[in-house]
Amino acid sequence: MIGQHNTDEKTLACINLFAVLGTLENLCSMDEEAKSLAADKNTSISFAVAGGPAATLFFEDGVCRMKSGAGQGRIRLPFSSVQKFNGMIDGTVTPIPSKGFMSLPFLLKNFTRLTDILARYLKASPEDLKDPVFFEKSTTLMFYTIASAISQIGNQDKVGQASASYMKDGIIKLSIKDGPTASVCVREHRLTTVKKIPKAPDAVMEFGSISIARDLFEGRVNSLACIGTGEIRMGGMISMLDNMNRILDRAGLYLA
Amino acid sequence: MRALNTYTKSREAFTRAAKVIPSGVYGHLGPAEGCFIPVEAFPLFGERAEGTYIWDVDGNRFIDYMCAYGPNILGYCDPDVDAAARAQMELGNCMTSPSTKMIDFAELLVDTVHTADWAFFAKNGNDVTTLAVMTARAYTHRKKIVFFKGYYHGVSPWTQKIDYAGIIEEDVCNNLYVDWNDYEALEGVFAEHKGEIAAVIGQPYMHGNFQDNELPAEGFWGKVRNLCTEHDTVLIIDDVRAGFRLDLAGSDHFFGFEADLICFCKALANGYNVSALCGKDFLKNSVSSLSFTGSYWMSAVPFAAGIACIEKMKRLDITALLNEEGTKLKKGLTAAAEKFGFDLHVSGMPSLFYLRIADDPTLMLHQEWVAECVLRGVFFTNHHNHFINAALSDGDIAETVAVAEEAFETVRRRHPL
Repeated sequence: MIGQHNTDEKTLACINLFAVLGTLENLCSMDEEAKSLAADKNTSISFAVAGGPAATLFFEDGVCRMKSGAGQGRIRLPFSSVQKFNGMIDGTVTPIPSKGFMSLPFLLKNFTRLTDILARYLKASPEDLKDPVFFEKSTTLMFYTIASAISQIGNQDKVGQASASYMKDGIIKLSIKDGPTASVCVREHRLTTVKKIPKAPDAVMEFGSISIARDLFEGRVNSLACIGTGEIRMGGMISMLDNMNRILDRAGLYLA
Repeated sequence: MRALNTYTKSREAFTRAAKVIPSGVYGHLGPAEGCFIPVEAFPLFGERAEGTYIWDVDGNRFIDYMCAYGPNILGYCDPDVDAAARAQMELGNCMTSPSTKMIDFAELLVDTVHTADWAFFAKNGNDVTTLAVMTARAYTHRKKIVFFKGYYHGVSPWTQKIDYAGIIEEDVCNNLYVDWNDYEALEGVFAEHKGEIAAVIGQPYMHGNFQDNELPAEGFWGKVRNLCTEHDTVLIIDDVRAGFRLDLAGSDHFFGFEADLICFCKALANGYNVSALCGKDFLKNSVSSLSFTGSYWMSAVPFAAGIACIEKMKRLDITALLNEEGTKLKKGLTAAAEKFGFDLHVSGMPSLFYLRIADDPTLMLHQEWVAECVLRGVFFTNHHNHFINAALSDGDIAETVAVAEEAFETVRRRHPL
């Protein structure tokens, strides 16, 4: 179903799964409470969305990893539609597991708490953001969420697919100076985000500081103006960045 | 080694500008769309221009190969064009009734441009490409327009793409796209949309950004012309960028075919603001039927400047002159690149050349080299074709090549073989 601004529920589900829940990987490495919630546990949760995406979150010794596909989870959460899955993310739908009842305490306590912590960082209050440490962690997690959302939008969203169709094969390095880096890999107009530094990028875009990245993510400044002031650096295959930025513009429609 | 430019005043001006102007400098003259990489290597505001030179607000002089992105064809502040403009300004410019200079200008274009039976004036290239598409739709009563991928026909919604900010699906839902030089694909689109295609619009050759420019394949335009005729489809040539740098009779004439409509701007009046749509007689009534005008479209000063510009271009045999200069520059730059082990590709027509260092597919080496040239007073851009003007001298070309050599040497030191 196509919604306002040509957005759609399936793309939103892909973003919610791979970009939002996918950021639990980073949360568990950055936040002590999150790490402790995943420590000494060896469990996994699969999400299988009918007509939509499927992935599994693995929690092991304080580390969280997401893999595509839903076949391996100890706890299995099936969703009859993308709308139902998106409802779980916005808190209007309670998921019912089809497998893994012995691990229900982890789902109800640890996982719920993890998503609460993630929400606190991704939808941070002005009060929390006054703490510079929180500000940096929150912006870093937003960066990973947005970097992952770029690929989902480029692959799923009707308008994003148009942008991806103009992109040549190659790797874009997306980074915040002295902060996180991600790679957006393009192959035959399909995008994959890897939360690592690429060895040989074809194009680079760097936000000059954590604060300018935040201002951009929240729409307080414009990327074109920031290129003029030098607060955003770009280089290499500019046409790749040009098209990625058009996709990036749509991230806000889904993540707002 | 030359001293490197500094841009203190440019930076200060940009800081001021960014507070009151979106993006500071928006569009193709700005650092984002202009691909100023790194931004510190480029001037952001100009102070004056003369001949082939521009001076920025810090007093740095540049040999300018962008020519204001095309309008400067005779040299900035050309005395003949400026004198004609001043004389008309004494008489009147923006008036309730148009000056007969408009008729003089139209007559001159009809005499000069091979396919022109009439001329309609506006201000920017985008005005006349839009007018051309409206004319084609009015004449054919059809919706669809065929574009060649990599095109640029202005900034109106119909020229943009679905993923551009501010564009809605309905703006572009009648646009059809084929690869440049792919005649079979074009035939396929005509077969698929029989009786629906109002126009094919194309630049005379592919001078899109971010890629080597590509001339039409042998026989390509002739086949396109025949296909359009066979299907009662209007053939529009967007000569806004290349116009008068290939052929004063129009770039369609240069490539041996006849457009139905041809759009001019940029070099038409050496920087005075006027554009023109010229076309064949059978479309004249359709243009007359359109509601399409603007507050300044019949201002007389640009008409006077345009007349003086075209007359001078004829006297100078400008296309031969520009291509000769461009060819000399191409040889010099290519040799300078080879000296330091770089493979510099110079594509497109010499009067409208495109540069790319082909050793590095990411183009980062190319961006480094362009930055070093700009820092030394030769204004190139990274990913847009360049322009030659008639004021460029052999001495300027020699200086450009010397700067290019220094820039290649600097980049090679950073990236030894």
